Amino acid sequence: MSTPSGSTPAVSTSSMSTVALFARLKLRLMAGNLRGDLQRKLGFILTLIAAVWFAVLGFLQLGLLRLASPDLSAALVIVAFSVFLFGWMVVPLMAFGLDDTLDPAKLSLFPLGTRRMAIGLFTASVTGVWPVAMLFVMFGAWIGLADGAGGWLLGVPAVLVQFALCVVTSRLITTALSSGLRTRRGRDVLAVAALLVVLLAQLPNLLMNGGLGDPGAVLRQLAAALRWTPPGMLAHAIADGGLVGLAEVVFVALLTVALAWLWIKALGRALVTPDVSTQAASVRKESGLVDRFLPDGPLAAVVTKELKYIRREPRYRVGWFSAVLVTIVLSFSLTRSGGGAAGLPILLTAFGGLLMALQSANAFGVEGRSLWMNAVAFGSERGLATDLAGRHLAASAVAVPLLAVLAVASALLTGHPEAILAAVPVGWGALGIGFGVGSVASVVLPYSVPERMNAFSSAAPGQGGIALASSMGSMVAIGLLTLPFVVPLLLGLTWVCVLAPFYGLLLEVLGRRLAARIGFARTPELLAAVSKAT
Amino acid sequence: MSDAVRTHALVKRFGQQIAVAGVDLVVPAGSFAGLVGPNGAGKTTTLSMITGLLRPDGGSAEVDGFHVWRDPVEVKARIGVLPEGLRLFERLSGRELLLYNGRLRGIPKADVEQRAAELLAVMDLTGAADKLVVDYSTGMRKKIGLAAALLHNPSVLFLDEPFEGVDPVSADTLTEVLRRYTASGSTVIFSSHVMDLVERLCDWVSVMSAGHIVAQGPLADVRGDRPSLNQAFLELVGRSAHTGGPGLSWLGARPSEPRP
Repeated sequence: MSTPSGSTPAVSTSSMSTVALFARLKLRLMAGNLRGDLQRKLGFILTLIAAVWFAVLGFLQLGLLRLASPDLSAALVIVAFSVFLFGWMVVPLMAFGLDDTLDPAKLSLFPLGTRRMAIGLFTASVTGVWPVAMLFVMFGAWIGLADGAGGWLLGVPAVLVQFALCVVTSRLITTALSSGLRTRRGRDVLAVAALLVVLLAQLPNLLMNGGLGDPGAVLRQLAAALRWTPPGMLAHAIADGGLVGLAEVVFVALLTVALAWLWIKALGRALVTPDVSTQAASVRKESGLVDRFLPDGPLAAVVTKELKYIRREPRYRVGWFSAVLVTIVLSFSLTRSGGGAAGLPILLTAFGGLLMALQSANAFGVEGRSLWMNAVAFGSERGLATDLAGRHLAASAVAVPLLAVLAVASALLTGHPEAILAAVPVGWGALGIGFGVGSVASVVLPYSVPERMNAFSSAAPGQGGIALASSMGSMVAIGLLTLPFVVPLLLGLTWVCVLAPFYGLLLEVLGRRLAARIGFARTPELLAAVSKAT
Repeated sequence: MSDAVRTHALVKRFGQQIAVAGVDLVVPAGSFAGLVGPNGAGKTTTLSMITGLLRPDGGSAEVDGFHVWRDPVEVKARIGVLPEGLRLFERLSGRELLLYNGRLRGIPKADVEQRAAELLAVMDLTGAADKLVVDYSTGMRKKIGLAAALLHNPSVLFLDEPFEGVDPVSADTLTEVLRRYTASGSTVIFSSHVMDLVERLCDWVSVMSAGHIVAQGPLADVRGDRPSLNQAFLELVGRSAHTGGPGLSWLGARPSEPRP
């Protein structure tokens, strides 16, 4: 490319150069992300290994379908293609913000036409480890399914159209939602929606355990339902290899072009639509319920604030939801496989209590940089102790009834209703132990919890080690502190359960006092640790 | 004791770098004081150490005669702080934030509610009082931050860059509130690098450069016989002569006309 000297370099606007430019940009971004950070390098290597593993295994599995009956292999590929499309639709939403070329707003100040932008973003989204692995796996289906010259010939465009369909649909969805995703409210919703995906991933497991019946029959029903969806038609086209197949490929190709056109339209709109979510509605007036139970003062202030945070902060919401979900999933799978011993409800409730309490093992991490506001108000250890007590009270207001429900539910599920009376106090006791240990961990090993799209992200860059030490330390401490209960329970002395709440309360008080003493002395260090840039 | 703030040889290191190298800051009670200096002079670090948010590596700081690190109860009851960056409790509304702050300091709820309502009205935030702080603009954040810092009626107010990113209307509101506050005998110390503003508002100036106080005293004394505080400041911090050197020759040259 020759550039006349003295003027702005002339830019070639051909499609090929756009493709090359964006492919290079994407590769640069990927390389730049890795520079100098060992943790990210290791992460990338793991991703690479996983992608290669996925590609090879997927390719072999789909390719080996040649050995199965044509009916079964067609059904499997129909389901597989549909799952791939669904994955392309959902996964980028969860990972949004990790890939700089995906957000059109970052490119909006460059003099790019919409067509170039569309080609560029398409290129950027197919450049990467996972897209290449995906294409590879889809060609596995071609090997496994194609039959006769028509099938082999039609298979290649069918696979390419399926790939393009996945990419375009995924782009269309992120673009259409991108203005929503850039807003605070959109991100709040999505952070919690990530939980749904986790739950969906558990669904097959639960269904299998539930024994819905013959997997073969389930597969055939599923394939019949998905047969006329676009990915289903493409899979069928490879197996068919005739005129019907050709018509199907052409139809889906046209559909893909239509989706691409919609995407370009959405892109044009997304670039000029401002974020209006900050004009959002007001919050409700508070009910004053807390003030009815607590005397006016700092403690009531902290409890009021904490209860609002549990309701409004996505990272707290995710924590609570997942504590409940994990317990439910666990109780389902344990009762299905084990039949359920009498001690199971007690164990499950205790586990639920610990999960809920352990969210406070880094009590100051989420509020992070706003903690200075407490620090300039607290003149002594008492202030910090009050703060911790308020947090524990607020968490208990949610956890205590929740644990009672969990205890009743798990006892009924396992068929041991008599265990309710033991499970409820043990759950409450576990909560207290968790609070006590968590208070100390919060001040000894504090770390920042970053505010990201994905509310599961745990610690700020460089603090992963502290986060790990904090949770391991808490686990060990809790393990040791629960021994006075576990041992008598194993010996069959069920009556000790009645003492559990008192023991938990004692440990909460001791842990809180110790934490206040340690924490107040190292307030500046605590502030620094939870205010890390994320 | 007529000094609101007095530090003695305050030092802070970050690794190899010395951010504050023995600062002796003095601010008389009742003054409207400006702490000025170029970026990286150590203003924020100094203010953080005086307000107890950052542990100094050496030296001492006193507020109203109380040692900051030995008498935290006395000091924290007397100071109001608006740090830089302005991270607030994002998921509370403006009103809830003020209520939380006041009650955390032990002021009865009814009193806090009344003070909060008055502060919100003065700051022109009544309309946004029930929106979440996370949705506030920069100017609104500064105003709600200042309201929170004033709520417990402190005798010394520390403000780090209170006017940065604030529109002229909000800035006018802020200065009006601060003027009323100092007129009653309280002290304001704020950091800034907008000299005109400092010259207009302050009666006391401390100039920092590279971790040291290079000049300190009544505004007129620091300005001396120079035409403006800005001129005095540039001389004090030792600005290097700045004439257009080589480079940037392309800047301002127009691109060629579009070809037909």
